[in-house]
Amino acid sequence: MLDQQLESLAASTRDRILAAATSDQLEAVRVEVLGRKGTLAEISKGMGKLTPDERKRIGQLLNAAKTNLEAALESRQKQFADAALNARLEAEWIDVTLPAPGPRPGSLHPLTQIQQELEDLFTSMGVAVLDGPEVESEYNNFDALNIPPDHPARDMQDTFWLADGNVLRTHTSPVQVRGMAKLGPPLLMIAPGRVFRNEEVDASHEHTFYQLEGMMVGRDVSIATMLYFMKLLLRHIFGREVTVRLRPGFFPFVEPGFELDIQCLICGGPGCPVCKHSGWVELMPCGLVHPNVLRMGGIDPDEWSGFAFGLGLTRLVMMRYGIDDIRHLQSGDLRFLRQF
Amino acid sequence: MKFSYNWMAELVSGLEATPQELMRLITIKTAECDGVEPFGEHLSNVVAARVLEAEDIPGSHNRKALIDAGALGRHTVVCGAPNCRAGITTAWVQPGTSLGGKQIGRRMFDAIESAGMLASAAELGINKDNEGIVELGDLAPGTPLPRLTPDHVIEVDNKSLTHRPDLWGHHGMAREVAAITGAKLLEPANVSLIPTTPSPVAVSIEDLQLCPRYSALLFENVTVQPSPLWLQQRLQAVGLNPINNIVDVTNFVMAELGQPMHAFDADKLASPAIYVRNAHQDETFTALNGETYTLTPASLVIADAKGAIALAGVIGGMDSAIGDGTTRLLLESANFHAASIRRTSSRLKLRTDASMRFEKSQDPVNTVRGIARAIELLQEVSPGIRMVGGLADAAAPSKPAPVIELRMDWLIRKLGRPIEASQVRNILEALRFEVKDANEGVFEVTVPSWRATKDISIKDDLVEEVGRMIGYATIDPVAPLVPTHPPADNPRRRHFRALRALAAAEGYTEVYNYSFVSEETAQRFGLPGEAHIKVANPISADQGLLRISLVPGIWRNVTENSKYLDTFQLFEIGHEIHRHDGPLANEVPHLVAAVYERHGNTGPFYEAKRLASCMLPGCETRPATAQLHEHPSRAAEVLWRGQTVGRLFEFHPNFVTGRAAVLDLNIAAMEAIGPVEKRYQPIRRFPSSEFDLSVISGKRALVGEIESQIVSFAGAMLESIAFLRQYEGAPLPEGSKSVSFQLSVAARDRTLASEEVAGIRDTIINGMRGLGYDMRV
Repeated sequence: MLDQQLESLAASTRDRILAAATSDQLEAVRVEVLGRKGTLAEISKGMGKLTPDERKRIGQLLNAAKTNLEAALESRQKQFADAALNARLEAEWIDVTLPAPGPRPGSLHPLTQIQQELEDLFTSMGVAVLDGPEVESEYNNFDALNIPPDHPARDMQDTFWLADGNVLRTHTSPVQVRGMAKLGPPLLMIAPGRVFRNEEVDASHEHTFYQLEGMMVGRDVSIATMLYFMKLLLRHIFGREVTVRLRPGFFPFVEPGFELDIQCLICGGPGCPVCKHSGWVELMPCGLVHPNVLRMGGIDPDEWSGFAFGLGLTRLVMMRYGIDDIRHLQSGDLRFLRQF
Repeated sequence: MKFSYNWMAELVSGLEATPQELMRLITIKTAECDGVEPFGEHLSNVVAARVLEAEDIPGSHNRKALIDAGALGRHTVVCGAPNCRAGITTAWVQPGTSLGGKQIGRRMFDAIESAGMLASAAELGINKDNEGIVELGDLAPGTPLPRLTPDHVIEVDNKSLTHRPDLWGHHGMAREVAAITGAKLLEPANVSLIPTTPSPVAVSIEDLQLCPRYSALLFENVTVQPSPLWLQQRLQAVGLNPINNIVDVTNFVMAELGQPMHAFDADKLASPAIYVRNAHQDETFTALNGETYTLTPASLVIADAKGAIALAGVIGGMDSAIGDGTTRLLLESANFHAASIRRTSSRLKLRTDASMRFEKSQDPVNTVRGIARAIELLQEVSPGIRMVGGLADAAAPSKPAPVIELRMDWLIRKLGRPIEASQVRNILEALRFEVKDANEGVFEVTVPSWRATKDISIKDDLVEEVGRMIGYATIDPVAPLVPTHPPADNPRRRHFRALRALAAAEGYTEVYNYSFVSEETAQRFGLPGEAHIKVANPISADQGLLRISLVPGIWRNVTENSKYLDTFQLFEIGHEIHRHDGPLANEVPHLVAAVYERHGNTGPFYEAKRLASCMLPGCETRPATAQLHEHPSRAAEVLWRGQTVGRLFEFHPNFVTGRAAVLDLNIAAMEAIGPVEKRYQPIRRFPSSEFDLSVISGKRALVGEIESQIVSFAGAMLESIAFLRQYEGAPLPEGSKSVSFQLSVAARDRTLASEEVAGIRDTIINGMRGLGYDMRV
């Protein structure tokens, strides 16, 4: 008798659980059937009249029915919770394409970018980064670099003279002099910075531009070691192996002096308008440091030897980005600068 | 410097390299070439032709000429030249020739078909004479014009010849070419042509330092006339203007041997004596260019008994110039001190072909070669010319040729590659050095006179000679042996980099501005002209001063960009360059940022302040007296840890349309303050209590000031104070505002009791009331 009662209760309760439409209805079923005063509890009260064997059997059935119903309830409850969560998540739709608040990043000047990149490269090779003033003495800019007064080499650099007799430095080379005094041999240094030449400005000429001076002084510095260093530098700058050639170039502070050319990156050698059909593009002057310059830097040229080079950062930037007018760089025009 | 290929080929026997190849060789071994251009290509299609008949064409200023071109037949040519007449022999440009970019063919002129053209010397590219067609004398019709052949001109970059006095003439370059190619160098000057008899001309040199040598030769029976066309073409090819046969010879020798020369009309000299001396103070001199110069003793002159007849090494004088009537001439071939010539030439702003050569330190030995070469040429171009006596030649005692000790092991170390001693010897000897074995592995190298004046004096110079001749391409890169250690730190660069990264991340785009400013702009910004360093030789008047502020540059950026953009933010890091008492200038790094909004109000100012707070956490701003370019009610000083480090302001509306705020930070001042040393504080274990306070103040009371007053009353328990908002309007009285803050108080060792919190609050309220504020409680 109890068996059937239990069975029909379990069956009807299962139906009601499945039929419950809300979490509240489900709770009502739970209270009515499984609650302390619920139907199951009622049924269990009738067990006192049964034989011990029957009681044990019915007890087991009762427990089983309770466990089953509780599981069904829980599962149904979870369905409601899941649905509620899903509904909330769905309602929380946002437009992911809306622009984010806060400042839009600006950008660094392309000359800054290339300069920082090279500073990082050199620093990683143990090279010190030095600075020198933009207003230099005539002595540091010329005399100490083996360009005495009335030397025709002074014509190679149209100079801005200042009323006080100083100059706006025409190259970063004076930092060689400062570097030798500061670091002493052996040394490895670079000095990037702003330089000035008294020239009319047009698409390919500027009176204000940027150079990076480099210098190494050591015991076994030779043309071969200079070449090694230059190739290392150029591989990094261009991101690939470049073919270089050295040819004679005159700069009073080096002996021998060179112009370093790279094989034209546009045509690869046969000749094109960019390389003026020569297959080569002049990239940087370099050379072994003139013994007079070492001496003026307090370094004994019989014991030490050095190389130096000057890299035109402005030119490099123009080559890298294909900039056809040098005047953009100092125009302050954001339509240009925001491209970098 | 232009080099004629034909000229070089005359000086190098068996030159096989093409002009292009020669240019390449010169570039990689000697000096930079700017290019090679054909010169007078058309000349292979020009022949002599005799005009048989010439008649006017009715209604035209042209004439119809029948010409005889020998084997090339008879042709009708229409010609506009006034001297086109029967009987003359002239130059006929055959149809199918390209001349000066024009195609010469068979064309109709005045209804007559003209075959080719008759050409003037200018049309042929020989000189500037465009008066009429050339008259060639008796040349066989149909034959090519004598010694007028197509040439190529190689342009060598002058800068790369700065150290090579010997390369300012074709023979010097030919010497290089011979050494490079192994071909034979020919000597154009035959010194034995110079008579050994005494000269009637006395030369006295006051200072042999300034004029190490002065050679001169007197000629008579001179005929002044145009040079032969071939000579004119040569000069034209290398960029020298033909003038007359005498002057042309001096220029020809200069272009060939690098030795500048000058010819005086000997009959216009006041004496048979030449004095090389310093100019007298205020001595005047009229040069060949028509200008009159007032000289000082710093300039060297060539003088006769009366006065200056030439500015030594620079230019000749008008009064003694060669003219049509000249019959006797004194030919000068001298050597001058390089720096002295250069000083004179720069002082007088007079650069000539001569001064350009002398300032490179020419070889005194060359003067006599110049004379010898000129004799031969003068005899050709001025038939009947005679020398009067021999060479006048005053000279300083010749200096012994420099000898350089060259150790092979040292040379190899400098080159960074092995090389045989015999190869070194061959290279140096090909370049005309004398090489002797001194010791095992040691050479004694004697420098030739033309390289000894300045170019080569130390062993390092020989590294270049050997290196360029073996070819730098034969040197393989070798990794240097370097002690490795972290490089010296450069904190300023690190700081710049951090500031740049921050500014860019916060929305600012970096600009670079010039270091120059105009007097006018400086004045507009209230910067006194005398505070600036002046440029002695500015490119233009508006770039006459060095900037002592970055603000004018940034203002220009704002003005320019506001033409295209409604809002933008930009910044620059650069140097202010101030005068000071030290030897150089005081260069102070600054960061200047600008924020622009066309339709904004207070936005730009507070955005710039936000950037300041990013760069200088905890910085404060304090109202400042506005400068000329600043909005009088929107200007502040920026303080960081009690020190003034910059300025924050909005541009005065007279300066900018729209709103532009500027932050100007002195990076050196920021560096001087240095980083804050940070110490760890244990995390508080007890909760804090928060409460709000509102202060009623005058409308223009400073929130920053109110806040610090609150802080001063809050005592040690104050953990933080934050501005919440300010409010004006009803129900507050007119002219007042309410400013609200949130405060947080706490103790390290306990939770504050509510009475304690209320106590702190009351203290503040009473304190503020004591200062005259109303408090909303």
